[in-house]
Amino acid sequence: MRAVPFESGREFESRPYFLDAAAAHAYGAAVEHPARRAVQPNIHDDDAAARRAGFRAPIAAGEHTYALAANFMVDLFGIDFLRGGHLEASMIKPVFFGDRLVVHARVTAADDSEVAMETWVENDRKERVLVGSARLARNPR
Amino acid sequence: MSDDDRILMCPENVREGMGLGPIFCVITAEQVEAFARATDADNPLYTAESPAAVQIAPPTMRLLDYALLIAKHFRGGSGGVHAKHRNEFFAPMRVGQTIRTDGRITKTWHKRGKFYFELEYESRDVENDELLMRQAITAVLLIEGRMQ
Repeated sequence: MRAVPFESGREFESRPYFLDAAAAHAYGAAVEHPARRAVQPNIHDDDAAARRAGFRAPIAAGEHTYALAANFMVDLFGIDFLRGGHLEASMIKPVFFGDRLVVHARVTAADDSEVAMETWVENDRKERVLVGSARLARNPR
Repeated sequence: MSDDDRILMCPENVREGMGLGPIFCVITAEQVEAFARATDADNPLYTAESPAAVQIAPPTMRLLDYALLIAKHFRGGSGGVHAKHRNEFFAPMRVGQTIRTDGRITKTWHKRGKFYFELEYESRDVENDELLMRQAITAVLLIEGRMQ
């Protein structure tokens, strides 16, 4: 684990990430390896599909926001997070294209065996769009 | 005769205990770099000059394997809304590795008229069976495009 002090109560914040249609397209192209057989118009790229599902406009994929939180954990903990880290989160509000997202994390417990955090992602209206938790053993595999 | 023997993606066909997969992929530098760029990740672990001596995949680069697992077994449907996700990381995915991923529908339920399912999946190195990652998605299945 890197030499970042993880005392209880300490907060961390990522730099902002601008999630617009171009970012969503780049994300979609990066994750579709290999491409699925056929992807129909959906809530992420089609106005009508988004409205049918109850959204006012197409929304970003939930996993795109989740990826920002996961990347932030690797930035905080280093490669150790990939050798014993745990992350779970709920996507509680839609992210619309044009939202600027910041990942937050707060240490909720830290002892000799484990660091635990709550984490959340806020849009530029200070609304939480993702809430979750992360933890890492002090002596990962 | 159709060569598509997949079953329709609908609540009646998504059943607890159903196994999905396997699917296989190779971790490529191209995908690692595209994913890092798309998520604005500048951690040197994801570069060819990685301090880990090998280029590492960002943590959720293979998260979408759930969709490949679903697409291998189901056809049609109108997608879903990602409600929750969970990851346990055991070892980093490294460029050049061939990965096998298997999944299972672990839970299905109705809540407020919506159909939810949980799909757990885990990824292993094909060569030595090393467990790399276990994850689970909870999603609301859209029915005729609606959350019902």
